[in-house]
Amino acid sequence: MPDLVWFVIRRLLATVLVMLALSLAVYLIFYALPADPARLGCGKPCTPDRLEQARHFMQLDQSTMQQYLQFLKGIVAGRTFGEGAAAVQCNAPCFGYSFPLARPVTTLILSRLPITASIAIGAAVLWLIAGVSLGLGAALRRGRLFDRFAVGFALVGVASPSFLVGLLAILVFGFWLNMVPVNGYVPLTDSPVDWAWHLVLPWVVLAALNAASYIRLTRAQMLEELNLDHITTARAKGAGEGRVVLLHGLRGVLVPIVTIFGLDLGGLLGGAILTEKVFSMQGLGELLISSVGQLDVAVVVGVTLFSAFLVILANLVVDVLHGVLDPRVGHA
Amino acid sequence: MPEPRKTPSETPVLEVHDLHVTFRTEGGLVPAVDGIDFAVAPGQTLAIVGESGSGKSVSSAAVMGLLPSNADVKGEVLLDGRELTKLTAEELRKVRGNEVALVFQDALSALNPYYSVGWQVAEAYRLHHDVSKKEANARAVRMLDLVGIPSAAQRARAYPHEFSGGMRQRVVIAMALVNDPKVLIADEPTTALDVTVQAQIIQLLEDVQTEFGTALVLISHDLGVVAEVADDVLVMYAGRAAEQGSVKDIFYRAAHPYSLGLLGAMPRVDVPPKHRLTTIPGSPPSPGSIETGCPFQPRCAYTERVGERCITERPLLTPRPGEGNHEAACHLGRRPEIAQEVARTGIQENAAPEGAPLQQSAAQESAPLEHSAAKAEGPLQPSAEESAL
Amino acid sequence: MGSEVVSAVSPTRQAFRRVRRDRSARLGAVLVVVLVLIAIAAPLLAKLEGQDPYTYNIGLLDPLRGNAPRGAVGGLSGDHWFGIEPLTGRDLFAIAVLGLRTSLFIAIVVTLVTTVVGTLVGISAAYFGGWYDAVVSRLLDFLFGFPSLLFMIALGIIVPAGFPRWLLLIIVLSVFGWAGLARLIRNQARSLVEREFVEAARSSGSSGWHIVTRELLPNLLGPVLVIATMAVPGIIGAEAGLSFLGVGVPPPTPSLGRSISDSIVWVYTGADPWFLAFPGAMLFLAVLGFTLLGDGVRDAFDVRLRRTH
Ligand SMILES: Nc1ncnc2c1ncn2[C@@H]1O[C@H](COP(=O)(O)OP(=O)(O)OP(=O)(O)O)[C@@H](O)[C@H]1O
Ligand code: SF4
Ligand SMILES: [Mg+2]
Repeated sequence: MPDLVWFVIRRLLATVLVMLALSLAVYLIFYALPADPARLGCGKPCTPDRLEQARHFMQLDQSTMQQYLQFLKGIVAGRTFGEGAAAVQCNAPCFGYSFPLARPVTTLILSRLPITASIAIGAAVLWLIAGVSLGLGAALRRGRLFDRFAVGFALVGVASPSFLVGLLAILVFGFWLNMVPVNGYVPLTDSPVDWAWHLVLPWVVLAALNAASYIRLTRAQMLEELNLDHITTARAKGAGEGRVVLLHGLRGVLVPIVTIFGLDLGGLLGGAILTEKVFSMQGLGELLISSVGQLDVAVVVGVTLFSAFLVILANLVVDVLHGVLDPRVGHA
Repeated sequence: MPEPRKTPSETPVLEVHDLHVTFRTEGGLVPAVDGIDFAVAPGQTLAIVGESGSGKSVSSAAVMGLLPSNADVKGEVLLDGRELTKLTAEELRKVRGNEVALVFQDALSALNPYYSVGWQVAEAYRLHHDVSKKEANARAVRMLDLVGIPSAAQRARAYPHEFSGGMRQRVVIAMALVNDPKVLIADEPTTALDVTVQAQIIQLLEDVQTEFGTALVLISHDLGVVAEVADDVLVMYAGRAAEQGSVKDIFYRAAHPYSLGLLGAMPRVDVPPKHRLTTIPGSPPSPGSIETGCPFQPRCAYTERVGERCITERPLLTPRPGEGNHEAACHLGRRPEIAQEVARTGIQENAAPEGAPLQQSAAQESAPLEHSAAKAEGPLQPSAEESAL
Repeated sequence: MGSEVVSAVSPTRQAFRRVRRDRSARLGAVLVVVLVLIAIAAPLLAKLEGQDPYTYNIGLLDPLRGNAPRGAVGGLSGDHWFGIEPLTGRDLFAIAVLGLRTSLFIAIVVTLVTTVVGTLVGISAAYFGGWYDAVVSRLLDFLFGFPSLLFMIALGIIVPAGFPRWLLLIIVLSVFGWAGLARLIRNQARSLVEREFVEAARSSGSSGWHIVTRELLPNLLGPVLVIATMAVPGIIGAEAGLSFLGVGVPPPTPSLGRSISDSIVWVYTGADPWFLAFPGAMLFLAVLGFTLLGDGVRDAFDVRLRRTH
C-alpha cells in the first residue's frame, strides 16, 4: 500500500507544521500575558537583584523569540538551566521545566498520563460498546419500546453536562448507596482490581454520557444504511438477517463511528478536565488547572501542546483509517 | 419479432396466482398490487410493463419475500410447485439468490461499496454452497469472465466505484447467476445505462438465458426491448393486470386502451421525429384511489363508447382472440362492433396493424432515437401534449 | 404524487410546519421559549419573589450543620422558592433565574457571532475555492487541533481581572466555536456550488456578490439555521463547564456552572444535596430544550451534516 505510506508521510509533515504553528501561538500568547513566573520563583522577600537572578536562571531575560527557539531546541536536544552546581538538567525531549514543582514538564506529563489514560480508555471502550450496540438495537427495533428507551436515554445523555451527572452519581452511588469509592486512584500495577474499582464511577458516568451521542449516530446512520439498495441486494442473495445487519449494514456505519471515536478519545486523552475535577483524580487536566492557578507557564504550555499533539494525532489516525475503511476515499 | 424459444406448453417454473400486496402506511392501506397472475417457464421470458408506480417492483419483491414489514402479501407464489409465501425465514433464505435471483435497476447502489466485486459475487456463492473461500473466489472469477468482464481475475479485486455503469451491471448479473438460479428477475436492468450499453446488457441476458435455460422475468419500460426478447407480456396498470398474452398478442392484437397507449408512446422509426413520442394524457391513479369501475377510466379515450360500465363496474380479465392466453381487462371487448370500429380508427395511428410489424431492435433502433436512458420514463409521463388516442 | 399540493409553499415554510408537527421538537420549542422568557424576565421574577441574589440570610442557616440551610429541601419556603444557598443563605431562585439569564445571554451572543463568521468564511471558502479554500481549511484544522478547553481555562485565569469576564467568555467561546460551523457550512455550500444553477449563474456573467447573496445564501438558510440551533446546547454546556472550573463570570454575578461547582462539597458531605438540584435542573433543561429543538429543525429541513474533510 504505497499510497498509504505516502499519505502518512505527507500528513506527518503537515502535522509537524501545524504543531510548530500551534506551539508558537501558545508560546506567544502565554508569554505575552502579564504573569511573571520569575516573581513567583524568587521567594520572599524578592529583591530586584534576586528577581533578576531568577529571570536569568529561568532564561526569561531573553526575547520571546529566543525563548521559543530554546524551547524547540530543548525538545530535540534537551536543555540546561543555570550553571555549575545549581544547574538544572532537562533531558530531551524537554517540554520545559517547572520551577515551582522542580521537575521537567515531560516527567510531570508522564506521571499524570496513566491516570488520564486509565479514565479515558476504559470509558471509551465502554461507551463504544454500549453506544453502538444500543444504537444498533434501536435502529433494528425502530418505533418499538426498546427504541424509545434508547432514544430517550440518548437524549438525556446528550443534554446532561458531565460534571452534573458525575456529581449525581457520586451522591447516589457513593454516598446514599455506598456501593463504590468516589475518588482516589490506585495504579494498575499495584492492584488491577482496586484500579478498576476506583475507576468504575468515572468510567460509567463518562461512558453513559458519551454513549448517548454514539447511540444517536449509530441509530441514524444505521437507519439510513438499512434503506440502501445494497442491503436489499444482500437479502436477495440469501444472506441471513444477522449477516445483512452486521456485515452489510454496520460495515457502512463504521467510518463515521471510527471518526468520532478517534477524535473523542484523542481529545479526552489530553486531559479529562471536568471528570478529573469531579472525581478528584490527579490526571493531566488537574495538572493543567493547578498549574494555571500557580501561573506555572512552563507546565501550561507543555500540557497544552501535548494535548494538541494528541488531538492532531487522532485526526491523522482517523484520516488514515478513513481511507483504509472506505475504498472510495483512498489516499492518493 | 423473435420466435418463442420454447413451446408455451412447457410447465412453468414460477407461478404467481392472485397476488395481492397491501402496504400499511400512515395514510392508510395502499393496495400496491391488487390480484395479478403470471407464470414463466424455463428458458422463457416474461416481460412486465407499465407506468411508474403500477406495482412492477413490488410484485417482484413479493416473489422474493423482500417486502418491508408493513406489507401484507396474499396469494400464491409457486416455485416448482413449492409455495414460497409459506416458507420459514431460513427456508426462504435458501431460495433467495439460489433458485430465484434478482438484478436491480441501479447497479451502483445495488452493490456494496465497501467490498470488492469478487468478494460480493463469491459471497453469493458461499451463502448457498459449502465451499472454501478459495473455491468461491475461483467461481466468482469464472462468472465475472462469463458475463464479459475483461481480465476478470484482476478486476475481481476492484471495488464497485472503479467500474463503468455497464460493467457494474455485468457484475450484478454475475452475482445473480453464480448459483445458476431457475428464475432470474431483472427489474429495469438497463434503465440507468447508455443506449449502446443497454443493448449489450440485454444481449447478455439473452445469452445467459439460452446457456442456462433460466426463466427470465424482465421488468422494463422499453417496449422495444420487450418486443425483442419477451415471449409473454404482462401489462400492469395501477396494481392490476390490464392485459396479458404472448408478445404477438400484445404487439399485434392489443385489446386494452392502455396497452394501445403504451404502444403509441413507443418511439417509432417510421414516423417523423416530431410525432414519434405520443403520451397518455393524465397520470396513473394512486393505488386504491379508484374503488369502483375501471382504474384507467379517467384517462381512457374509449370510455364514452362503452358508457356507464366503465365507471360502475370493474372490468375483469376476459379472453381475447390470440395465441392462447390472451386476456384483457376492458369492457370494450364485450362489444365487438365497437372494438372493430376502434381497430379501424384510433388504433391504427398508434399501434401497427397486423402484417406491418414494428421494426424493433434495441440495438438498431434506440441509438438514433432520443429514447435514451435519461428519457426512459419520459414517454410514459403525463404531458399536455395531445394524444392520438 | 401529490407534489402539486405542497409545491406552492416554500421549503422553509414546509420545514416550520414539520417542526410544529414533530412532538419532541414542539416540546423543545416550548422549553426554549419558556426558558428564554424566564431569562429575559429574571430580574422581574426575582422582584416578584421579593428576593435578590446578593443578600446574605445568615439567620436561615444552621451553624450546627456547617451552615447548611435550616428546614427541608434546602430551605425551600414561600419566601425562597428554590431554597437558599448553604453558607451564605442567598436566595437560590434568584440565583437560578439570573444564572440562566447569564448562560443564555452568553450562549446566544456566541451563537450569533460564530454563525455569522462561520457562514461568511464557509461560503467564501466554498465559492472561491482554490488556494483560499486550502488556507481556510488548514486554519480550521489548526483550530480543531487547538486544545480549546485547556486554553480557555488558562486564559480565564491569566487575563487580568480588570477585563470583563462575560466579554472574555464570549470572545473565547467564539474564537474556538466558529471553526466547527464554518466547516459544516463550507461543506454544505460546496455541494451547492457544484450544482448546475450556480455554474449557470456564473457563466451568464452574474457577479460574485450576486451569486453569493441571491443563489447561495437563500439556499443555505435552512442548513445554517440547523447548524446554528444545534450549536447552542454545546455552547451552553461549554460556558457552564468553564464556570464550573472557576473561569466563568466572577462572583457575585449568578452563574449556573459556578453554583453547581459550589455544590460539590455539599453533595460530597451529604449536608445539602438540594443545592445541586435547582441550578442543575435549570442547566439540564436549557441544554435539553435546545437539543430537542435542534434535532427537530434538522429533521424538518432534512439536512445531513456529515463530518467530512
Ligand atoms: N414500502 C412501501 N410503502 C408504501 N407504499 C409503497 C411501498 N413500496 C411501494 N409502494 C407503493 O406501491 C406502488 C407500486 O410501486 P412499485 O415500486 O412496484 O412501482 P413500479 O411499477 O416498480 O414503478 P417504477 O417503474 O417507477 O419502478 C407505488 O404506488 C408505491 O407508492
Ligand atoms: S373499461 Fe372502459 S375505461 Fe377501462 S379501459 Fe376499457 S374502455 Fe377504457
Ligand atoms: Mg420499479
